[in-house]
Amino acid sequence: MKTWRWVIALAPALLGSGLALYFFLSFDLRNDHIVYLRADLGTLSLLFGLGLSGLAALVFVLLAWAERTRKRIAESAAEERRRFLRRLDHELKNPLTAIRAGLANLADSPSREAHQEALASVEAQALRLSRLSADLRKLAELEVRLVEHSPVDVPALLREAFGMAQEQAGADERRLNLSIPQAPWPLPNVQGDPDLLVLAIHNLLENALKYSRPGDTLELRAFEDGTDIVIEVADTGPGIPVEEQPHVWEELYRGEAGRGVPGSGLGLALVRAIAERHHGGVSLRSRLGQGTVFTLRLPVG
Amino acid sequence: MNPKPSILLVDDESAITDNLAPFLGRSGFSVTVASNGEEALEKLATQPPDLLVLDVLMPRLDGREVLRRLRQAGDWTPLILLTQVGEAGERAMALEEGADDYLNKPFDPHELVARIRAVLRRARPGRPPLSAAARLACGSLILDRTSRRVRLDEVELELTPKSVLLLEYMMTHPDELVSRERLLDVVWGWDYPVGTRAVDTRVAELRRALADDPAKPCYIETIPGQGYRFVGTVEARP
Repeated sequence: MKTWRWVIALAPALLGSGLALYFFLSFDLRNDHIVYLRADLGTLSLLFGLGLSGLAALVFVLLAWAERTRKRIAESAAEERRRFLRRLDHELKNPLTAIRAGLANLADSPSREAHQEALASVEAQALRLSRLSADLRKLAELEVRLVEHSPVDVPALLREAFGMAQEQAGADERRLNLSIPQAPWPLPNVQGDPDLLVLAIHNLLENALKYSRPGDTLELRAFEDGTDIVIEVADTGPGIPVEEQPHVWEELYRGEAGRGVPGSGLGLALVRAIAERHHGGVSLRSRLGQGTVFTLRLPVG
Repeated sequence: MNPKPSILLVDDESAITDNLAPFLGRSGFSVTVASNGEEALEKLATQPPDLLVLDVLMPRLDGREVLRRLRQAGDWTPLILLTQVGEAGERAMALEEGADDYLNKPFDPHELVARIRAVLRRARPGRPPLSAAARLACGSLILDRTSRRVRLDEVELELTPKSVLLLEYMMTHPDELVSRERLLDVVWGWDYPVGTRAVDTRVAELRRALADDPAKPCYIETIPGQGYRFVGTVEARP
């Protein structure tokens, strides 16, 4: 905490003024309470020198510590970048390989049917790349664009996202529940961009639909917690292994279970970016074999 | 009267012009290609096309600068900008600087053909397009594009910035069927699978503010299953 350093710097001054106030209030200043300090020039120089050296040493220690923190942050940023590039490379490889194979088929094209098939496949892969590019742009833009700040009716938001989820593939094979508290008072508004917030909740629900199995139960619920509104998407799906949990919000991350599931791998990263642009946050709890709760926290405004 | 509208396609990426030019040719246009802004200006001077398709990011003279020079010289050749940055401000700027329309890369080539046809249909040769006007008026509805204010019967309307952007696009493209996907792209710069609902919400907000009856619309008409159309007559105001 950077702000705490000021308190450390101020501590001697505060201590001094406190003591001064105490002495001033508790003694009538008679002569015997006045302390005269006597020191020969040698001792005085020694103490002064020692004090300065101590101070300088402290400054150097603090600087070295700051430098080390900076290096660690730079290293983790570099590592994150390498990881992102590796994943991007991976996401590009498959559609590109498919496109090249499709083009080779088109060139030989033994029959009209094979021709059509190859064309359709190449087009599908090109679309997949377009979607990836669009999602990457969304993420990049989200970090810089101005976010609309209007009062957002949370129950309406939840109902809208829930309505969309009910129309999605696989929704009819799962139990979908929506719970919005009415008592003792309805949920307060949050400040933000309704379109972005719907997108965030939609992504969470879509994710839960994709990774749960037919027969599972999905719940969308919200409640007030202090100065926050907490929106949760819970499922009775297979759960996320502990070692994968910290990574699921990262761009293009795919866990073991995510291989072969369609999507750009940017859905949850978008949710996190949207939450952060609203001064909120995201988290998750999961148990293998039991299910997962994704949490979106937004400050009441 | 030339039956085949002529198009000048300007992009520095030959992979794009090599594929797009024959496609536009087959779609019934006669296409000339230029690979940068300077070449485009030269070709414009020697053989003026009916419409210009202009990439924004180009070396030497970029698309935005070409557009600025043309409009400053009073040349109102219909123009479609191909942008790569979806930033809303950037798109609004493209329209303000007098582009007739714009499309985000990567785009569906059929969408480009649809845009070209719509712009050509709307174009009035030699006169500034609605998208170059500072103020747009439809009866007592007035949209001031510089101050982003909307007035109806002299009363200022309370609209969110996105609704103004939506209304602006509809009013600069009157009598044109605009799909939900297109509007989403206009307001957001990107689409998402179920985001077309967001468009419906915005249109409903606009209709409430404009007191427009969806069953008998004066401004925005719903084309079931396809999108929306601005039905009022729009004129440019200084």
